[in-house]
Amino acid sequence: MPRFLLRRLRGSLLVLLGVSAITFLLARVIPSNPALTYVGAKATPEEVERVTHALGLDQPLPVQYLSYLRNVLTGDWGTSIATKQPVLGELGDRLPATLELVGAAMAVALVLGVTLGCIAAVRPGRLIDQAVRLLSIAGVSVPAFWLGLLLQLLVFGRLGLLPPTGRIDSDLEFTAPIHSITGLNTVDALLTGNGAALASTAAHLILPALTLAAYPLGVVARMTRTSMLEALQQDHIRVGRAYGVPERTLVWRVALRNALPPTVTVLGLTAAYALTGAFFVEVVFDWPGLGQYAASGLLSLDYPAVMGVTLIGAIAYVLVNLAVDLVHARLDPRVRPA
Amino acid sequence: MATSRRTPAAAALVACGLLASACTGTDSGTDNGTGQILNVATTAEVTTWNPVKSFSTEVYYLSNVYEPLLWMNPPGSKERFRPALAERWQSSADARRWTFHLREGVTFHDGEPMNAAAVKASLEASAKDGGASFIWSALDTIETPDEHTVVLKLKSAAPVDMIASSMYGAWIVSPKALAKGEDYFAKGVDAGTGPYRVSEYQAKKRVVLKAYDKYWGGWKGERYRTVVARITAEPTAQQQMLQSGQVDYAGSLPLENVARFKKDKGYTVTECPTFQSHTAFFNTTKGPLKNVKVRQALAQAIPYDDIVKVGTEGFGARARGAVPAGAFPHDEELPQTPYDLEAARRLLTEAGYEGGKGLKLTLSYAAENAQQAKYAPLIKDSLAKVGVSVELQPILFNQQWEKAKADPATAQDIFLLMYWPTYSDAGSDNLVSLFRSSDKPFFNLSYWKDATYDKLVDEAGTHTATDQDKAAELYGKAQRRLLEQAPGAFLYDMRTPVVMNSEVKGFACNPNYSFSIPFHQLRHGAS
Repeated sequence: MPRFLLRRLRGSLLVLLGVSAITFLLARVIPSNPALTYVGAKATPEEVERVTHALGLDQPLPVQYLSYLRNVLTGDWGTSIATKQPVLGELGDRLPATLELVGAAMAVALVLGVTLGCIAAVRPGRLIDQAVRLLSIAGVSVPAFWLGLLLQLLVFGRLGLLPPTGRIDSDLEFTAPIHSITGLNTVDALLTGNGAALASTAAHLILPALTLAAYPLGVVARMTRTSMLEALQQDHIRVGRAYGVPERTLVWRVALRNALPPTVTVLGLTAAYALTGAFFVEVVFDWPGLGQYAASGLLSLDYPAVMGVTLIGAIAYVLVNLAVDLVHARLDPRVRPA
Repeated sequence: MATSRRTPAAAALVACGLLASACTGTDSGTDNGTGQILNVATTAEVTTWNPVKSFSTEVYYLSNVYEPLLWMNPPGSKERFRPALAERWQSSADARRWTFHLREGVTFHDGEPMNAAAVKASLEASAKDGGASFIWSALDTIETPDEHTVVLKLKSAAPVDMIASSMYGAWIVSPKALAKGEDYFAKGVDAGTGPYRVSEYQAKKRVVLKAYDKYWGGWKGERYRTVVARITAEPTAQQQMLQSGQVDYAGSLPLENVARFKKDKGYTVTECPTFQSHTAFFNTTKGPLKNVKVRQALAQAIPYDDIVKVGTEGFGARARGAVPAGAFPHDEELPQTPYDLEAARRLLTEAGYEGGKGLKLTLSYAAENAQQAKYAPLIKDSLAKVGVSVELQPILFNQQWEKAKADPATAQDIFLLMYWPTYSDAGSDNLVSLFRSSDKPFFNLSYWKDATYDKLVDEAGTHTATDQDKAAELYGKAQRRLLEQAPGAFLYDMRTPVVMNSEVKGFACNPNYSFSIPFHQLRHGAS
C-alpha cells in the first residue's frame, strides 16, 4: 500500500506541475496588460511602465515562470492585481464557502443518488425506475446556471420560500455573528449553538446545494442502478434468496456493497467536477466562494487570482482522485497490485 | 425505536424553522442597538484604499470616508459649490492664487487635527504621486499663512474650485497616515474626516462602514450609522437581493427589469443623470476612414434613437457632442448628427464607395459592457443598410484598449467607448483626452490629428478659470469642428436608475459624483 501511495503521489506532482505551466503560459499569452489592470484604466503610460517593471512583467517568460514556482512553494501565490491582496489569503478566505457548498451538494447526491439508484434497480421497468432514469438524464443534462435561475424563480420568486442569494442574512452578521471555527457556517453555527445563524445559513444553502447536486445526483443514481442490476443477477444473491435471506438484507447489505466501487469512482470524479460546476452556481447565487472569485478574476484579467484558483482546482482533483483510488483499493483488493 | 418516531417531527421542526427564517428574510434597516443598518449591493471593488492613489471604483466608499475642500452641487443648483472642509474660498482675478479658509475643530479618524498643514501635505501628495495627479498640473506651491488658511499658487490659471471638488485626487488625508506609506492603507485602514470609517473589508466580498462619532456634520435624525456593502458583479443577483429584502439598495440592476420596481410601492426609483457618455471612434488613419466623407456617412448611418432605446432601455439620452449634459462646457445649441441613410449613401457615393462597395470594417467593444453588447449589433445592421459590412469584435475592455493603443494601422476601424471626466471640467478632459492630437494613442482612439481643433481646445483651456463664457464659446467651436470632421459619433449620455427600498429617504442625484452614494445623506423611515 505505501508503494502504491507513493507512485500515485509522484504522478500527482507531475500533474500539478503541468497544470501550473499551462495556466501560467495561457495567462501570459492572452492579449492583455496586467500592469494596466493593476494601475487602472486612466493611469499614465509612465505609471503603467513603472508597475510593469515592479511586477516583473518585463522579464522573459521562463524567468517569470521559475520565479512564480519558487514563490508558490514558499507560500507566496502572488498578489491579486485587482485587490492588491495576497492571493493565498484570499483563496483561504473563500475556500470554506466552496467546500461547504460542494460538501452539501455531494451529500445530497450520494444519499439521494444511491437510494434512488437502488430503488430503481429492484423495480426494473416499473414506474419508479422510469422516473429515476428520467431524473438522472435531467440532472446531467440541465445546465447548472439555468437550473439555479429556475429554482430562484420558482422557490423564491413564486413561492416566497428560501433566500435566493448569499450565505446568511446580512443583519445576522451583526445581531448573531457566527464565531468561526471551521469556516463552514452551518457547522460553526451548530458547534456554537447559534440557532438563528444555523437556520439562516441552512436556508441559504438549500437552493445552491440542490442546483450543484443535480449533475452528480444524476450520474450516481444511474451508475448505482446499473451496478445494482448487475449485482442482483449474481449467483450468490440467487443463492441467498433460495436460502430465504430477507430481500432487504440482500439488496442493502450484500448487493450494494458489490455495486459501490464503481459508484465511488464516479462520485469522486463528479466531486471534482462539482468544484468547477460551483463556479456557475456561486455566481448565480452570489455565494462568496472560489467560483465567484475566479469569475471575477477572469473578467478583470487578474491572472494571479485565476492561476491561484486553477492550482487549487488541480490540487482538489488530484486529492479526490487519490482518495478514490485508496477507497477503491480498500473496497476491492485487486486494485492494489495494479 | 423511539428515535425513529421522533425523527419526522424533528425534521418538520427544523424545516419550519428554516422556512420561517427564509420567509421572514432580512428586516431592512434593522436597528440592533448600534443604530440603523443600511444594506447595499454594489459592483464597486476596491483597487486601493490609498485615497491619494485611488482612481477607480473604490471612490464608492472613499467618498463616504474622506472629504475634499469643496463639494460641487448638481447642475442647476443655486450655488455651484458647497463647503466641505473649506468654509470659504476666493481666487485672485487671474485665477493663479486660490485661498481656502478651513473649517475649525475637525479631526481625522486617527485623532489628528485637520488643519492647513494636513491640507498642504494631502494636496502635495496627490500632485506628486496621485492616481489622478494630472489634475494638479498647474499647481506651483502651497502656502499655509495660518493654522486654518491654505493658499494655492499656480503656474497658470486653473479652475481650482472644480479641481478641489474632484472625486479623484482631491481627498484630504491625515498627515500621520500619509507618512506611513502606501502599505499602511492596504488592509482597509482609513484616515479621513468623513462621516464613516472603514470597519471591515473583505476583498471582492464586502465592506462595512461605521459612523465616525465625532463627524463635524453630526448624526441627527435616523441616519444609517452602519453601512454593509455586498460586492457582487451580477445584476440579476443584485435584483434578487433587493427583492428578498437582503439589501435596501442595489446599484446595478438589469436595466430591463427596472420598470417593475417603478410599479411597486415598496421601492423608489430615481433616474439620475451621469457624466458617462458613449462614443464610437472612427480610425482616421486607416483605409477608407481617412476620407472625411466616409466618416460622415458612417456617423449618419448610426441609429441613435434605437441605440438609446435598446442599449439603455430608455435610460440614456442622445448625446449632444462629446461633453455630457450638465458638465462644463456642454452646449445645448450644438446640433446632433441626424440618422439619415439616404444622406449616408450619397456621401459614400461621393467618396467613391457607391453602395458601400468593398467596405468591410471591424468594430470592437467591451464584452463585459452589457449596454455595448446590446447596441453594437444595431450599428452593424444599420451600416449594412448602406452597404458597409461590419465585423463585431467583443473582447474584455483591457484587451480592447491594449490592442487599440498598440498600432493604429492594425487596430480596429470603430471603437466603442464609455467615458467619463475625472472631474467636472469635461473641456479639459473629454475634449482634450478623446480628440486632441497625440503622438502616442491613449484615449484618443480615432487617432485624429487636427491643428485647428488643437488650437481651439488649447486656447479654451486657458480661459476656463477666468472667463468660462469665453472658454465655452471656444469649446463650442471645437465641438462643431468635431461634428464636421467626424472622427467619431456621439451616441448617448447615460442616466442611472437608482432603486431603493422606499424606507430609505433623502437620496438626491449628483452627476458630479455618480459613482458614489452619500450614505450620510440618507435616513431611515419617514423622518
